[in-house]
Amino acid sequence: MAAESEPVAVPPRAAPLAEALGCTDLVKKVRDGSRRVAIVDGVTLSMPPGRLWALEGPSGSGKTTLLLALGGLLAPTSGDVRVAGRSIVGLRDHHRTRWRREKVGFVFQELQLVRGMSLLENVLLPRVPEGGATAEERARALALLARFGLAELAGRVVDRLSGGERQRGALARALLGAPAVLLLDEPTAHVDAENAARIVELLAELKAGESPPAVLVTTHDPRFAEHGAVDRRLSMRDGRLG
Amino acid sequence: MRRARALFVYALGSLARRGRRSVALALGVALALGLYASALLLADALRAVYRGTLEVAPDLTVQRLVAGRPALIAADALGELEALPGVRSVRPRLWGYLFVEAIEANVVVVAVPSDAPDLRPALAAGSAELRAPAEGPAPALLGSAIAARLALAPGDGLALPDATGELMLLRVAGMLERATASHAADTVLVAETTARRLLGVPAGEVTDLAITLAAPEEAPVIAAEVARRLPMSRVIDRVALERSYALTFDGRAGLVAALFLPMLAALLLMAWDRFSGLGESERREIGVLKAVGWGTSDVLTARLVESLAVTLGGVLLGLLFAYGYVFLLGAPGLQGALFGWSTLSPALRLAPSTSLAQLATLAGLVAGPLVAVALVPAWRAAMLDPDEVLRGG
Repeated sequence: MAAESEPVAVPPRAAPLAEALGCTDLVKKVRDGSRRVAIVDGVTLSMPPGRLWALEGPSGSGKTTLLLALGGLLAPTSGDVRVAGRSIVGLRDHHRTRWRREKVGFVFQELQLVRGMSLLENVLLPRVPEGGATAEERARALALLARFGLAELAGRVVDRLSGGERQRGALARALLGAPAVLLLDEPTAHVDAENAARIVELLAELKAGESPPAVLVTTHDPRFAEHGAVDRRLSMRDGRLG
Repeated sequence: MRRARALFVYALGSLARRGRRSVALALGVALALGLYASALLLADALRAVYRGTLEVAPDLTVQRLVAGRPALIAADALGELEALPGVRSVRPRLWGYLFVEAIEANVVVVAVPSDAPDLRPALAAGSAELRAPAEGPAPALLGSAIAARLALAPGDGLALPDATGELMLLRVAGMLERATASHAADTVLVAETTARRLLGVPAGEVTDLAITLAAPEEAPVIAAEVARRLPMSRVIDRVALERSYALTFDGRAGLVAALFLPMLAALLLMAWDRFSGLGESERREIGVLKAVGWGTSDVLTARLVESLAVTLGGVLLGLLFAYGYVFLLGAPGLQGALFGWSTLSPALRLAPSTSLAQLATLAGLVAGPLVAVALVPAWRAAMLDPDEVLRGG
């Protein structure tokens, strides 16, 4: 437990103070038959806190893989990833896990809530390894659900929620720990226009909060990419940023 | 501690979410283990019964053989044997079998010698009447099985054929205690004169002689001396009796246990199959947990609690089932297989008697592998990147 309480196993690399999320020469290769193909090919970026960026590109361009690598959910083949000023590449698994839990919020394309559990239980899921949610965290979870229009549904099993409700619930879970970085993979892909607009507005509102996270969103949705709150649009093709 | 408690609560919640599967697995383990443990518990309890029987058995039993078959023995041989060094007492015993047509079974008629001490009151109510029969039908004490088969109660009449074929009316004076059922379920205990008439044994002769020794460990030496003094006799010592009982019970217990083994193996293999594979929903759940910041050890701890709860729950349920089936219900069905040497099977109330180490070993042999096989796939999934798990990699 002593090791877990001290997540810094590897000394952090020097990073610009203003950087919430960054990577340098990031490469992720996968095996395709007898050859290895680069899904992410030498990507470098540096994202300040409080910014909302959209990452666009055709299917198979490597957007999701880049997002997963930036969130510490996928080990890169080479290169460096920095989250909240600390390199997470090379960290031991439990240190990286803890760092991710504290600093990164992730919303998956296909929702990824645990079936059979209530919405509130799902939102509080990241707190279980910390000994369960405190009263303060529980209140924060309920406040987030209320903010996302889900207060009445907190106790409902997620199987009985609509796609939009689940997506907003997943967003509430990602924000529970007040992360420095929020990564969303196609958050409007499986919801109707009304819910998509609502999600875009919610993300835009995050910028106005205290200590706003850096928000990186992969999307095909022009409503999102062209929204006024988006600070920068990145384009990705064949594993490279254009 | 807070972390462990939170993971424990989460794991129990997971079990509840997969309630049907969890219950089916636990019941499978419980059934397999319960049946096998029932055979073990019953065999242990029956061993305790026959050991109790042996404790009151004579050190040596002397029978006379004619043409290699047991025959009546003259009671006056008693004096010669009592004079042997190391012999504490010699008691003549009068007993024999009587076929009762009404129940199509043999009963064992046993005489209470007129000069024998009173039967222990705990053994049978009404035993005093055998020594001092009143006018009217001769009194008899009945074993539990014969009384149950003939639906007899104290005060009822019982007609048994005597040695000449005439029916002799007996009066049921009482019942033998259930504690004696293992060896007296089919016994009719009567006064000596009644027994002689029923069995056709002339005065001065008995069925066998029971010898009590001052030092039981000298039994082989004294048995040899008895055989030398009484040619054409057979001397049975307690060790031989013990061997005979052991062959009866242990052999049957082994057979029954062996019959249950394939069932145990089949059910455990089914449980193994269910435990060792991760369903799609479980795999996704592990991926989600990893993605939201659970470490490998967190996932494994939760999975360990889940599998322990299911297997230990099943093991506990199985042992409780076995205990209740054997000691509360009397092991219906199974008891007949283990205890059915007599046409009139005794209705035993078995006293719990077993080796806890044996049960613990059995529980460990069942629970250990099942917990292990549940952990391996979870460990493999938890070691992967969350993305690989969620994408099915």
